[in-house]
Amino acid sequence: MKFYSVSMKQWVENLSNVASEFQIFAPILQNDFLDYELITPDNIEQIIYNTAKPTTPLKAFFFPVKENVVIDKKADKQRVIIGVPSCDLHAVNLLDKIFLDKDFLDIYYKKNRENTILIGTDCYKITDSCHCTSYGLNPYPEKNSDITLSIVEDIVILNVQTEKGEKFLEKIKDAEFKEGIAAEDKLKEKRDAVIQELDSKNKELPDAERTRKGIESSVDEVWKEYAEKCVSCGACAAICPTCHCFLLIDKENFEKVKNWDSCQYPAFERVAAGEDPLGKIYERLKNRYLCKFVHKPDMFGEIACTGCGRCIDACIGKIDKNEIILKICK
Amino acid sequence: MSEKNIYKPIKYKLDKVVEETSLIKTFFISAKEEFEFKTGQFVEVTIDGIGEAPYTPSSSPYVKDKMEITIMKAGYVTDKMHQLKGGETLGIRGPFGKGYPIEDFYGKEVLILGGGVGLAPLRCLILTLLGEEDKFKKINICFGAKTPADFIYKDWYDELRKHKNVELLRSVDKADGSWQETEGLVTVLLEKVDINYKEAVAVVCGPPIMMKFGTFRLLEMGVKEENIYLSMEKNMSCGLGKCGHCAMGDYFVCKDGPVFTYNEIKDYPDIWI
Ligand SMILES: Cc1cc2nc3c(=O)[nH]c(=O)nc-3n(C[C@H](O)[C@H](O)[C@H](O)COP(=O)(O)OP(=O)(O)OC[C@H]3O[C@@H](n4cnc5c(N)ncnc54)[C@H](O)[C@@H]3O)c2cc1C
Ligand code: SF4
Ligand code: FES
Repeated sequence: MKFYSVSMKQWVENLSNVASEFQIFAPILQNDFLDYELITPDNIEQIIYNTAKPTTPLKAFFFPVKENVVIDKKADKQRVIIGVPSCDLHAVNLLDKIFLDKDFLDIYYKKNRENTILIGTDCYKITDSCHCTSYGLNPYPEKNSDITLSIVEDIVILNVQTEKGEKFLEKIKDAEFKEGIAAEDKLKEKRDAVIQELDSKNKELPDAERTRKGIESSVDEVWKEYAEKCVSCGACAAICPTCHCFLLIDKENFEKVKNWDSCQYPAFERVAAGEDPLGKIYERLKNRYLCKFVHKPDMFGEIACTGCGRCIDACIGKIDKNEIILKICK
Repeated sequence: MSEKNIYKPIKYKLDKVVEETSLIKTFFISAKEEFEFKTGQFVEVTIDGIGEAPYTPSSSPYVKDKMEITIMKAGYVTDKMHQLKGGETLGIRGPFGKGYPIEDFYGKEVLILGGGVGLAPLRCLILTLLGEEDKFKKINICFGAKTPADFIYKDWYDELRKHKNVELLRSVDKADGSWQETEGLVTVLLEKVDINYKEAVAVVCGPPIMMKFGTFRLLEMGVKEENIYLSMEKNMSCGLGKCGHCAMGDYFVCKDGPVFTYNEIKDYPDIWI
């Protein structure tokens, strides 16, 4: 776990030098939306560091919206993703357990994952919907990064976590990259302040265990009430960093395309005889919460909500997940 | 890619198609690569460029160079299956899921309750049990169909009755003039079976409504919850415990099932739908 510190100017310059050798993605602001963009020397100055989640969840890099999973994948340039928030890094635990399951290894996911270098970053700025600390996560990278990146007083602090990270750093590091961590206490101060801000903003919110109990003992009336506003668009699942459901769609030559799917869509569980355990909107809405807080923890030892709050931002019907949870946990 | 691709079907030849009833056909498939599967496991069959669906082989797992699958016309993909004539190439992935734990049935009386196209997986199970017939105290089979014409595998029943360790009872919801056996729902056969229900294991497979009432009747007769084996029919896509379509409570039915004992799943709402 080696630390390096380098000036922002030097970091940008050295990163720019390797921009064509890798596919580098980082958050850039476009029309009010922060999202990952391919980085070139032209937009490298616009990267926004150390802020809350980009619109697209990290999963999209490993589990794309559509992917042909029968034809051989051609080798891509190695990808580097800068600016991954803690919530999305945490989601990788569950995705890995599902797609890298040793009984049935998904070689497409594995390849995408292996071909990607993750640079996790601290969130110094949060948004209204952020609530990672409610579920025991911290708003700075703790796991699944190859390198972590924090900026303190225009110094970029890099912490190398894996061999893959080390190799990447070898490519960009020069004499200006000083071993060691600059302004460690300042970094801690910043982190504590963000935690404080999240905790006080979300102080009413129950933790994972209480949320689970609330869902298990909830009455259907609550779900029916909120289902009135749900249009089954599946946006909540699309932007969720842990939602992994898909449908295999057949193409000629026995090819199959793995497409994102969602339990929020009608007929997701319908069987040919016509029976449908998730036939009604409220059943589907409730199922989403059961899956995240009850079944996934039981099955994989991982809660499937990282508190990123994207589903609250994305909902067309303005269904606020935390409002429901507060109501059922009363 | 050297590692196995779990999504890629292997190609097999469809040799012939036999009509069982107006809605059900059996598909005979032959293999260059041998099929290895355990009874109760299922395969995902692809029609090129059309679609894929899960089916349980209805033939014996002892036969490895051929496989039979019996399919009811129920929707888009199965309708296309029924249009095949033989000679086409099919794609197969699998086998998937856990099968019936046959070893747990050793020394016991086994009761098999089936209806409709549910007889397909049960045929595979029965052929497996008959491979080591002496290991079971008794094999009691209760089969039901809507009418005599709706029974699949018409030539099979006389053969089954030749086995000394097998007792076969059949019923139809609506009899015709020639029907010599029971008339009524398949559950009425349970009264006629000479068996100690408290110690027996029971396997149920059929339409959801039959599974439900069959299970309840077996419980009333005294079969223990952990001795009732149900094969759950769920919507499926991947068969691999990834796509989420078959989720049922804390299980992915494709990977953790499709065979469950009643006590493993009884607490989930709506297991019968
Ligand atoms: C483990 C298992 C074993 C099965 N074994 C047999 C068998 O041996 N013989 C047989 O006739 N049928 C069997 N079925 C049911 C069979 O898979 C469905 O009838 C078939 O998937 C319906 O597809 P369809 O496109 O014709 O129907 P549609 O209603 O048009 O279905 C569209 C899609 O929904 C999904 N789907 C719909 N209904 C079902 C369903 N009942 N089960 C699973 N997925 C569904 C499929 O992905 C399908 O592509 C089995 C199902 C399961 C889960
Ligand atoms: S939920 Fe937490 S980790 Fe995720 S973006 Fe917000 S502050 Fe960062
Ligand atoms: S069928 Fe995909 S998870 Fe079971």
